[in-house]
Amino acid sequence: MSARDEILASIRARRLAQAPKPPLYRAPPTEGDLVEAFATKLAAQYADIRRLDSMAQVPAAIADILRGRNMAPVAHIAPDSDLASLDLGTVEIKREPPGQGDAAVTRAPFAIAETGTLVYAAGKGAPASWHFRPELEIAVLRESDVVAALEDVLRTLEARGGLPSTLNLVSGPSRTGDIEQTMELGAHGPKALAVLVVRA
Amino acid sequence: MNLDPKAFPQAARTALKDPTLKPVLGRLKTHFGAGRALAAQRYGDFESLREAGKAIREYAVTHLDELLTQFETSVVARGGTVHWARDASEARRVILSILQDVGAKTVTKGKSMVTEEIRLNPFLEANGIVPVETDLGEYIIQLRDEPPSHIIAPAFHLSKEQVAETFRVSHADLDPGRALVERNALVQEARAVLRSAFERADAGITGANFLSARDGAAMIVTNEGNGDLTRLLPGTHIVVTGIEKVVADMDDVAVLLRLLPRSATGQPISTYVSVMGGPRGRDEDDGPENFHVVLVDNGRSALIGTEAQDVLRCIRCAACMNHCPIYGAVGGHAYGATYMGPIGAALNPGMMGVAEAAHHANASTFCGRCAEVCPVMIPLPKIMRHWRAVEYAGGLAPKAITRGLSLWAFAAKRPALYRLGARVASRLLRLMSRRGAVRSVPVSNGWFAVRDFPAPQGRTFQEQWRGRHRK
Repeated sequence: MSARDEILASIRARRLAQAPKPPLYRAPPTEGDLVEAFATKLAAQYADIRRLDSMAQVPAAIADILRGRNMAPVAHIAPDSDLASLDLGTVEIKREPPGQGDAAVTRAPFAIAETGTLVYAAGKGAPASWHFRPELEIAVLRESDVVAALEDVLRTLEARGGLPSTLNLVSGPSRTGDIEQTMELGAHGPKALAVLVVRA
Repeated sequence: MNLDPKAFPQAARTALKDPTLKPVLGRLKTHFGAGRALAAQRYGDFESLREAGKAIREYAVTHLDELLTQFETSVVARGGTVHWARDASEARRVILSILQDVGAKTVTKGKSMVTEEIRLNPFLEANGIVPVETDLGEYIIQLRDEPPSHIIAPAFHLSKEQVAETFRVSHADLDPGRALVERNALVQEARAVLRSAFERADAGITGANFLSARDGAAMIVTNEGNGDLTRLLPGTHIVVTGIEKVVADMDDVAVLLRLLPRSATGQPISTYVSVMGGPRGRDEDDGPENFHVVLVDNGRSALIGTEAQDVLRCIRCAACMNHCPIYGAVGGHAYGATYMGPIGAALNPGMMGVAEAAHHANASTFCGRCAEVCPVMIPLPKIMRHWRAVEYAGGLAPKAITRGLSLWAFAAKRPALYRLGARVASRLLRLMSRRGAVRSVPVSNGWFAVRDFPAPQGRTFQEQWRGRHRK
């Protein structure tokens, strides 16, 4: 008998009773404005959150964030990204994957208010590794893309044909508590995360 | 370093005298315990969430065959491959053959307790493949050739000075004069060294916190982002996990995700949560070309239908050991096993055999805190009692215990004899006491070596009870 069949047979032979399918769990609802809740929660996780009125303000905000971190005015934007046509003015745009000391600008298609979480679905123009390669990730998010809970994101993805090969939830810059249980930022992923929340 | 579960009593005695462990174990309460309590309180109705988590895992554990076959079908539909392994050696062989098929020489690894359980790293090394652990804690203990001392904080037992010393020895090509005083300097050094390992690796191995049967996807939580670089940069991604990690769908995963980080580190959500299903899609810019999942049984299915079945609900958050007075006194290495603390005490006798791991089930005060904080409500003390009963029934318990219990049972079944015995004993113990406590009794030196017995007040409970009713 194959390992597969033997394991399945072992499970079936030993089982006594089967528990019923539990009812759908509903998390306590997020109070107040979803965008405000999202921004407050993610800011508490060491992210730099900036609220903008329009996409026209994005280039200046990116330049300001780079200056504030003493980084060169260079931003990596994936070739087929929704943001590929963005004109960053004085900030030079590079198309290759960002290195360990670089800044990447990405488009977050969803955000979750419950936990202050950005959600990225891998796809054309949305390479998953870019959320982990750079020193600084600047995410561009539209207010209308903030939802209450992960379940809302799942419903939208189902309507679009299911999960991508990689779905990344990001709730702040990379960190570790592995040395003396004390949190340090900048383990493997970005040392800093900025989010530009655009109203329209 | 104890690697033998049978040597737990001696290793525990040594650990109690280890001065470096005291400050480390103090962090269980100040960091993990306090964090979990605050996170549970902030959530609101955490008890309903635990009930929901328990029900989801109970459904999964009692439908494993359906869910695993559905998971397999979903992975195949995405272009991945599922492998099954009955035991540790079969799991090692399966993983090696996947790696050899793609000609892998170096493999980066995300944190995986199942690969610790199956002793994967030494096996890969013996077969000419270099495994590089990338979770910071796992990386540190790999350099030191030590096993994890905690299931979510592998280097829990080490100070930053010890980590600095390890890095100086292992990163010999770096400037010997560099400062390694601050924790962040250590983190940055590991980040730089490991980034080049990610870029060189031919394959990546991660564990899975959960598998979604409907989506054919594995979910992992990390704070560092190492699991993602492990999956996304090399050409081949292998998920190695236990058969019990499967749940029905992503809605179930979403509920468990609310429980896991809160119970583990006290975070409302881990920094990264990654759902990984299949190789890169046709329109996707990056990700692995090959995707494999290795489902490991290794004694798990044998627990189904037994008194220990509930242990299969475990989501490996470590809350039980973080709140355990035994783990809190001796630390993780004393157990000599991959899983330590209450979850080890409930799981190891089942997976390794009672003869091997009965000491773990005996190492409990039955205070019950582990069950109180367990996010999926596993009755851990009840399962430990079950293993104690199996040990006793199998004649594996120490002679002093079996003889003592037989003697007690003989008396307990004869009320007159029991009353007489209790009367004599309580008066004798009172005579032997000094300043309100009995400090030693002949032939019971072991018991009295570490504790006193409060002096009886004179009359037995039954005498007092009868006296009260006569009034």
